[in-house]
Amino acid sequence: MATASLVLTDDSTLSKLDRALLRLERAFALISGLAVFGLMVLAVVSVTGRNAFQNPLPGYVDWIEQAMPLIAFMGISWVMREGGHIRMDIVVGQLKGRALYLTELITTLAVLILMVLLVWGSWAHFQRSFDFAAPMWSRDSSMDIALPIWPAKLMAPLAFGVLVARLLLQVWAYGRAVVTGQAIAVPLIADAATQARMEAEQLED
Amino acid sequence: MEPIDIGLWVTGGLLVMVVLGMRVAFAAGLAGLIGLIWIFWARKDFAMDDFGWALTVATKTAGQVPHSKVSSQALSLIPTFILIGYLAYYAGLTKAMFEAAKRWIAWVPGGLAVSTVFATAGFAAVSGASVATSAVFARIAIPEMLKIGYNKQFAAGVVAAGGTLASLIPPSAILVIYAIIVEQDVGKLLLAGFIPGLFSAFVYAALIIGMALTIKGFGPPVTGFTWRERFASLPPALPIVFVVVTIICFVYNPFGGDAWGTPTEGGAIGAFVVFLMALYRGMRWPQLKDALLETAKLSVMIFTIIWGVLIYVRFLGFAELPAAFSDWITSLTMDPMLILICILLAYAVLGMFMDAIGMLLLTLPVVYPAVMALNGGADVAAADSTFGMSGPMCAIWFGILVVKMAEFCLITPPIGLNCFVVAGVRDDLSVQDVFKGVTPFFIADGVTIALLVAFPWIVLWLPSLA
Amino acid sequence: EEWNVSLWGSPRAFTAHVEKIAELVDEKTGGEFTLNISYGGLSNNRENLDGISIGAFEMAQFCAGYHRDKNPSITVLELPFLGVSSLEQEVELSMAVYQHPATVADLARWNATLLMPSPLPQYNIAGVGDAPAALTDFEGLSVRATGGIGAAMETVGAVPTSMSASEVRQAMDSGVVKAVAFAPHAHMSFGTIENATWWTENLNPGTVNCPVVVNTDALDGLSDDHREALLGSVDEALDHYIANYNGATMEAWGPALEERGITRVSFSDDEIAAFKEAAAAPAAAAWIEQNSAAGLPAQELYDMVTGMIADGS
Ligand code: NA
Ligand code: NA
Repeated sequence: MATASLVLTDDSTLSKLDRALLRLERAFALISGLAVFGLMVLAVVSVTGRNAFQNPLPGYVDWIEQAMPLIAFMGISWVMREGGHIRMDIVVGQLKGRALYLTELITTLAVLILMVLLVWGSWAHFQRSFDFAAPMWSRDSSMDIALPIWPAKLMAPLAFGVLVARLLLQVWAYGRAVVTGQAIAVPLIADAATQARMEAEQLED
Repeated sequence: MEPIDIGLWVTGGLLVMVVLGMRVAFAAGLAGLIGLIWIFWARKDFAMDDFGWALTVATKTAGQVPHSKVSSQALSLIPTFILIGYLAYYAGLTKAMFEAAKRWIAWVPGGLAVSTVFATAGFAAVSGASVATSAVFARIAIPEMLKIGYNKQFAAGVVAAGGTLASLIPPSAILVIYAIIVEQDVGKLLLAGFIPGLFSAFVYAALIIGMALTIKGFGPPVTGFTWRERFASLPPALPIVFVVVTIICFVYNPFGGDAWGTPTEGGAIGAFVVFLMALYRGMRWPQLKDALLETAKLSVMIFTIIWGVLIYVRFLGFAELPAAFSDWITSLTMDPMLILICILLAYAVLGMFMDAIGMLLLTLPVVYPAVMALNGGADVAAADSTFGMSGPMCAIWFGILVVKMAEFCLITPPIGLNCFVVAGVRDDLSVQDVFKGVTPFFIADGVTIALLVAFPWIVLWLPSLA
Repeated sequence: EEWNVSLWGSPRAFTAHVEKIAELVDEKTGGEFTLNISYGGLSNNRENLDGISIGAFEMAQFCAGYHRDKNPSITVLELPFLGVSSLEQEVELSMAVYQHPATVADLARWNATLLMPSPLPQYNIAGVGDAPAALTDFEGLSVRATGGIGAAMETVGAVPTSMSASEVRQAMDSGVVKAVAFAPHAHMSFGTIENATWWTENLNPGTVNCPVVVNTDALDGLSDDHREALLGSVDEALDHYIANYNGATMEAWGPALEERGITRVSFSDDEIAAFKEAAAAPAAAAWIEQNSAAGLPAQELYDMVTGMIADGS
């Protein structure tokens, strides 16, 4: 039931890199999904422990807070690859061909600038919570049972780093599309995709 | 340049980026980051040597936001409720709800669309996330409506609008988030959403019947189900009742004695029960993997918007815009009811550009105290209050109004998450198609909101019994 | 000159000293040096030290218990059953700890200098159901208590349960927890007293320590006049804070209990002593061991604090 991807592929290096990165991205997204499942199991353990054994899970809230970055960040690059992050396509929907690819190139560059800075910023946030000299390398801990927070904080620069790689690839792909007029390895907006599929179907006839 | 001027310029820039088609989450994050750089640099009078310092401080300030804001127990409800939606799809619960609604209701004019509305309302009793409800019904209800000749855009619109019922009818992630932001009783708020949710469903149904009676070539009613067939459709939908009872036991325990857990735990346990049902109905790893990936996708979309918007909100904090707004509201000399209506209208406008949760996180810290002050304060008695209700009741009433507005924003262009999700599920539908199809429901929502404002007892009757 | 100050929540007894110091500094410098206070706009409460370290704002408040590993030295003041009996004493102890070289070095990692504490009275437990008459009645009682106080409650057989503060009231109303440990003002603002039937008057298991810090570079960068205006206002700001807390908040507390018919539970000296013995000594030993391993003169800090209390300072 996963939605069909609107990304065209071919034999170029670009497309090969796209699919290689996609494998990593899907693995990350699956980690995110498994973390949601883990959240559910955690609640079952906590509730059963408290009601049946008078023994609630210590630090239940702390563990949830640790799991949330996994859920919130790990799939970010995969969603970008599939074109899932929401946007308003009233203007870009009217554009076609090179004008469209040029606009996409510009907005993708803007996202790239943001994400490079956020890798830096979130890494600095991680670094402040991390200390090689400290027990468990921890310089920041959770409120109830004092779990080290650095692993959770590390998830942000890690996932954002993969997204930066994806954005670099997309900048390349849109740049190439501006030159060649052919967009591969980037998500196409719905109308363009339908058009492409219709063309493919005509070829089959 | 004053910080407030910087705030207005950056906000304008954000709108331009969004219109140009930059993904909203990142446009908000970039606007916030640029704003922060600007504000810090302005402190050093834009000296060339100090740009590096401003860039560093701004980037490190923004870099805290993603981890800091998503690491919240309250927000953990969002992925949990989305997971319920997808697991219920594999457990056959969605299909069963829709089938039962079809056999019992589809004989009325516009029958299949009305059935869809009531099926989403029934499903809302286990689902706490609007987007997930729309996503699963897009797979089930739209094909059936298309089969008997419904307009494609309208069919998509029904599903997008019906999904919003999931956030009023308990359980609801967004109601819990509201309760946590404003520190009010979660249980009473959830209870308060029930009647307005059903009420919305009836208004939607009335609208559809009205359209079916006046528009030529509207989808035909579906008749000919025997009573035997009707009753046969009920048992497969029964597990829904079981899940509902489980969740209710967590929040209230109607059998007397202690509740089994907190509402956040209740959501997770509900998901677990549906998971067991799905296993029983033959879900295996490939389907579970799909459900987990779909859950991850929707969750990531929503969380990216949340932290993106909150970087922008952090910048607004440094620009002192919220304080300026609060002072302005409380200094107004208009009729308080008029002010309240203006606030709701402002939500409608804001909601065009923002998702529901981002909007609540952005506005409530400023707007909620202002509304409570309008009513006469947090501890005011009903007799002394402006709106004729006590402080805690006003908190509940305003919560339901705001959540209904937030749900309205899920279907309004240009940024209406439910419409994006429906379009994402169905390749043959563009986002514009869904927005066109959902337009009639703006009228229905307008009517509902007006009635909830005019007759607060629709909201307050049930929680006042508890 | 303008400093940004990052607090959270809303103006309340807990922030009265910061509001006061802003007023005093403004007055003393004729408006040349102002403190611009923001409630939650500049940072999350758990990231206030990060913001100070980055230089995003110049002054902030935080609680040591939010993140023990960020500020291990101050957490000595959060150990259970220290036996602190007044806000004045809490201030005196805090200031002594804040000026200890190990604490100064600890906070220097965040480019932060400790300015003053926000003294809170001892936490106590409000609950529903039968009021505990003796400590043995805590056996099996589910109580929302975090950190050191939770650990202390565990020693008498209570079941510490963790949830966010905003879910506490619903959890207590619905019976998920039977009791909650908070300072009096928090019992009032989170509504735990609305359904509670009893409150432990003298259990006094401990409290949290919430200092106000300034960015060290910003402090060093102040002109002598401005720095003197700031540092010279600390005592007056704290006097104002204590007068306000003992006055307004504690005056509201007694009537709030009576209005709702909440029973005050008082334990005998023997029982408190037994609780203390069971909980305090192991917690202190664990704290000292853990923080010595982290390179802190933990024994010295602990001895200083307990010594001052023994001297009745
Ligand atoms: Na619901
Ligand atoms: Na919208």
